[in-house]
Amino acid sequence: MAVPVEEAIAALSTFSLEDDQPEIQGPGFWVSTERGATTSPIEYSDVSAYRLSLSEDTKAINQLNLLIQEGKEMGSVLYTYRSCVKALPQLPDSMKQSQADLYLETYQVLDLEMSRIREIQRWQASAASKLAADMQRFSRPERRINGPTITHLWSMLKLLDVLVQLDHLKNAKASIPNDFSWYKRTFTQVSVQWQDTDSMREELDDLQIFVSTRWAILLNLHVEMFRVNNVEDILQVLIVFAVESLELNFALLFPECHILLRVLPVLVVLAASSEKDSESLYKRVKINRLINIFKNNPVIPAFPDLHLSPAAILKELSTYFPKFSAQSRLLSLPSPHELPPREAQEYPYHFSFPSSICDSYIFTYQRHYLVINHIGSIRAEHDDFSIRFASAMNQLILLRSIEGTDLEWAKEVKGNIYDMVVEGFQLLSRWTARVWEQCAWKFSRPCKDPVSTELHEKPESFSDYEKVVRFNYSADERKALVELVSYIKSIASMMQKADTLVADAIWETIHAEVQDFVQNILATMLRTTFRKKKDLSRILSDMRTLSADWMANTGKLDSDMQSFQQGGEENRGNFFYPRPVAPTSAQVHCLQFLIYEVVSGGNMRKAGGLFGNSGSDIPAHDLKQLETFFYKLGFFLHVLDYTATVANLTDLGFLWFREFYLESSRVIQFPIECSLPWMLVDHVIESQDAGLLESVLTPFDIYNDASQQALLVLKQRFLYDEIEAEVDNCFDIFVSKLCDSIFTYYKSWAASELLDPSFLFALDIGEKFSIQPLRFTSLLKMTRVKLLGRTINLRSLISERMNKVFRSNIEFLFDRFESQDLCAIVELERLLDVVQLAHDLLSKDLMLDSFDLMLSEMQENVSLVSYSSRLASQIWTEMQNDFLPNFILCNTTQRFVRSSRVPLVPVQKPSVPYAKPNFYCGTQDLNSAYQSFARLHSGFFGMPHMYSVVRLLGSRSLPWLIRALLDYISNKITTLEPMIAGLQEALPKSIGLLPFDGGVAGCMRIVKEHLNCWHPKSELKAEALRGIKEIGSVLYWMSLLDIVMREVDTSQFLQTAPWLGLIPGADGQIMQSQDGDDSPIVTLFKSVAAVTSSNLHFSNPSIFRVLSRQAEAADLLYKTNINAGSVLEYALAFTSAALEKYCSKWSAVPKTGFVDITTSKDFYRIYSGLQIEYLEEAIQAQSSNREVLGDSVAWGGCTIIYLLGQQLHFELFDFSHQVLNVAEVEVVEVAPTHKNPHIVQSSEVLVEAMKKARRLNNHVFSMLKARCPLEDKQACAIKQSGAPLHRIKFENTVSAFETLPQKGA
Amino acid sequence: MARAGGITNAVNVGIAVQADWENREFVSHISLNVRRLFDFLVQFEATTKNKLAKLNEKLDTLERRLELLEVQVGTATANPAMFTT
Repeated sequence: MAVPVEEAIAALSTFSLEDDQPEIQGPGFWVSTERGATTSPIEYSDVSAYRLSLSEDTKAINQLNLLIQEGKEMGSVLYTYRSCVKALPQLPDSMKQSQADLYLETYQVLDLEMSRIREIQRWQASAASKLAADMQRFSRPERRINGPTITHLWSMLKLLDVLVQLDHLKNAKASIPNDFSWYKRTFTQVSVQWQDTDSMREELDDLQIFVSTRWAILLNLHVEMFRVNNVEDILQVLIVFAVESLELNFALLFPECHILLRVLPVLVVLAASSEKDSESLYKRVKINRLINIFKNNPVIPAFPDLHLSPAAILKELSTYFPKFSAQSRLLSLPSPHELPPREAQEYPYHFSFPSSICDSYIFTYQRHYLVINHIGSIRAEHDDFSIRFASAMNQLILLRSIEGTDLEWAKEVKGNIYDMVVEGFQLLSRWTARVWEQCAWKFSRPCKDPVSTELHEKPESFSDYEKVVRFNYSADERKALVELVSYIKSIASMMQKADTLVADAIWETIHAEVQDFVQNILATMLRTTFRKKKDLSRILSDMRTLSADWMANTGKLDSDMQSFQQGGEENRGNFFYPRPVAPTSAQVHCLQFLIYEVVSGGNMRKAGGLFGNSGSDIPAHDLKQLETFFYKLGFFLHVLDYTATVANLTDLGFLWFREFYLESSRVIQFPIECSLPWMLVDHVIESQDAGLLESVLTPFDIYNDASQQALLVLKQRFLYDEIEAEVDNCFDIFVSKLCDSIFTYYKSWAASELLDPSFLFALDIGEKFSIQPLRFTSLLKMTRVKLLGRTINLRSLISERMNKVFRSNIEFLFDRFESQDLCAIVELERLLDVVQLAHDLLSKDLMLDSFDLMLSEMQENVSLVSYSSRLASQIWTEMQNDFLPNFILCNTTQRFVRSSRVPLVPVQKPSVPYAKPNFYCGTQDLNSAYQSFARLHSGFFGMPHMYSVVRLLGSRSLPWLIRALLDYISNKITTLEPMIAGLQEALPKSIGLLPFDGGVAGCMRIVKEHLNCWHPKSELKAEALRGIKEIGSVLYWMSLLDIVMREVDTSQFLQTAPWLGLIPGADGQIMQSQDGDDSPIVTLFKSVAAVTSSNLHFSNPSIFRVLSRQAEAADLLYKTNINAGSVLEYALAFTSAALEKYCSKWSAVPKTGFVDITTSKDFYRIYSGLQIEYLEEAIQAQSSNREVLGDSVAWGGCTIIYLLGQQLHFELFDFSHQVLNVAEVEVVEVAPTHKNPHIVQSSEVLVEAMKKARRLNNHVFSMLKARCPLEDKQACAIKQSGAPLHRIKFENTVSAFETLPQKGA
Repeated sequence: MARAGGITNAVNVGIAVQADWENREFVSHISLNVRRLFDFLVQFEATTKNKLAKLNEKLDTLERRLELLEVQVGTATANPAMFTT
């Protein structure tokens, strides 16, 4: 079944390839079929088909290209050469006898390395001689062979460049002579036993000369070239070609531009090595043009961390080429900044210019070289270009989707695409060149006074590399560099993506351009200008022959040719069909050659430049057209080489390489802080710059490029391993840093959201607490980060870490709470709120575990059958150990505060764990805001704390806590019992009413007599009081809890009531609104389910059935929750049940059946005694005893009394009551003047205290009456005999409390 | 000046060039479409990977949820007495 290819491919587009991946990385892979169209893939073997007699030239080109290829490999061997000497072992004294073996081994190792150098030496010799021979052959004035072609010129220049670079590298690498001297030493040691070593020795000497002579390769080349004295012409042509190309700077991409810049000074030196030659050179090229070029480019990148400078080369070479040293103008070029690094110590002012001029030079260069000065215009260019490119692409897609479009429009759209591609290449070339040049500039100017951020590093310990890279880029420069790198990479990936889309449009446009030129422009030229010139018109018609595509009009070719020859005026050949095929590189090669032939007339000696030629007889207009087309042809090749060009132009791997500095610093590798790519990543994360954040992955593209280069260009496995190791390390650090800043950001966002906005508004410093928005969204979406050929799921890495960090944060908060007292619960709740909100905010972008899950995991209450939790048990322990014994109640403020007395049992607590600020609220400012808020609640325990307890424990653990507290009460009562019994025993059998005769003082005396019996039992007394106080505290705590619970329940009720169909009845009762059995929520979902199941269009009705069932469950659950009882009432009932056992002991039933006035065994007597004693003690001790016991004693005592049914007895027979009664009478009777002021005062104070205690007791009793009414029951609980029943039994018994969860569970 | 160059048999070369244009049209057509195919595959791989990553993420979360539920059920079945009322 044959399906047309086009259709089959088009069918693929029906697949959905939608992807939400943001484009924030460079292109990660290259698919290229062109195999580098810039150099012919078949080595120009098709050139001969055009029968231009170029076979010699083609052969030469191929030879040179091969040499270039080899030379580049030599270069990479030399560049990546690492000294072996450092690794050579030293023998300990004990093994001196095997010294000879060591020498042999060393020799063998070094021999391997040196053989490479030897190979380079041999290669350069042959390359130089071949290049020289080639130049000589093609510069004979008589011209027996065609050539050199432009491609040939380029090959010469490139080979020359390779040689210059090799030489430069050899000069710069100090380790090679070093290794060599070792090699030689071992050789002399080893060769003693050998015979016939003369030839080897000779060879060795040769190699030594080669290794130790600076510029040995160039000198050799010079010798080879001038063996026969006729290469000046071609050198001049090369110079002219280079200068013109550089000046025009249209068709050059930056690699070529750099080649020309590197070669030019050497060419000048070679060409001007004699008086005569230099004069003729300056006739063709004005010396000012050269000086201008050198001046404008004082630093030229050569290798990643090695740069060249024309001025320095000229200067240095002048010592080797004595004739050149006469060229004082060229030699006096200022060179303040391009000192080779080994002379950096003499830096900076080591030339003869006054410093002011130097400054201005440096200033202008700096302005030129530093990216930061161009970033504004680059940004504008980037924005503008990406918009226009995208719109051109859209037009192209639109064009594709419409059938039968206007041919003109199609041509325009495609032409536009071509223009955009050309512009894109030029932009990319310019930008990457900027990065290269800035790099070279930075290498040439190391930082003078590095300031380290880390204090432990001493300035003198900085390596050179740190000075040129780490401290040489200011924050702004790093920012600019990140921006530029991301621009380059984003444009690259945009263009790369469009590759197959634009390919045929580009081919078509290029085809049209070529055809337009050969069919129309050449036709016009043939008819007009060249009509009379046989030679030239033949060349022009050759151009037509070898590239014209007459389509179906093949037959017309002859007639066409004839008509041109006859000078036919009809406008033929104007229209040609578009054909999406580009010319081959051989065609371009031939066309360029022919144009060059036309322009130069085949005469190399011709004065002037290539096109800037005034002596030519070709009219300026035609010349212009030829020139334009000539340079266009050059660029076609780059455009045709689409993916390869994009890859070349955006390769930023050089930013990583530092072989040269590694050698000069004598280290194996630099730490990653010195690595430029990592510095950029680090800068993005540290700077918290919202604009840069999405570029954070682009520096990793540098690593990608670098590893690509290490493997494919330098072909060194160890370099790749080093890069890989660094990337692994970097990426780990990157992810952890990124997660940290994400977490901090979301935490501070949440914290600042939770601050009171109106408060912030009123605050002057409110701005401090607002945070700068950052967009992590696109980073959080990255599921495939391309890194060294691996695909990394960044999103899952982040979410994994986030899950972990949220858990550890919660854990930390609990740890922190455990190291503080109960009052910290408000702070805990606030901080947990912040964590929760941060989790919510982050969950919008990232898939995280639910917060409840994390919380319950950290609370350790995952189990379904456990009701306690880490928090609940902590609260309980805290209450038991610290809160109940050491906190005292203030009834007025409804707060518990810590007693100022030293606690009996010192409380042991773990120290507060340390954590980073982001475990609190994010930033320091927010932390301090929250801390000052927490401080408000840290000194007491009251309502806000209770709210926090309720909210944090929830309905799950709260019952557990209540149960624990109730058990605590009953335990306390049990422990209280023997103490009370002890006190009961000590009291006299009967205590009567106090007599009024003695007044207050008398009463007190009698009371003291009664209570004297307790003197030996002061310990017991205190214990009993504390017990009563703790019971009171628990009960008061319950009452606080009750208030809070009521509020919570009420608000919940209000929310659920409408759904459950509950309405207020006439008498305040809650009524079911409908008479039907379903509440509104159930009805609603039932009807929805019914509708969906009857509607056939609905695909998934089962969901709604489930929903309606869930609604029924919810209905049931919420309805049972409505009539929740009061916690306090429950607690009181429990207490009363617990008191049951001791009822008989603590309230003696009078035998007579009537109130026994004199009984001393009842509990109220004991409490009354305790109370009056401690009131008295309080006064005597001056410092208020309340600070020990607080108001909860009254709560405990009164509650027990009340529940024992002794309230009325207490109010009648309480000692302080009686004393107060006496005091009232006494105040009326006695005038105060008669009394001793001191006694009066003390008794007055005592009376005052008693009054207070009475008021408090009354308050407690009235509260108890309200919450636990006994009276009405009491009223009817009179026995038949008339004697009141002393105690009412509640229906609640202890067994009823079994429904509460057990404490241990 | 004697020109060594110049196309010796211009007509034949012209015909050959014409044929070459046509052949190359076919070649570039095929090669372009192969590249498009390749592009498609690369993109397909990328988007599929993304979709799988998303699925994996959901499975991860579900897995953790399930683990929790398993633990809860485990505690519940270990204490059957708590649920018999």
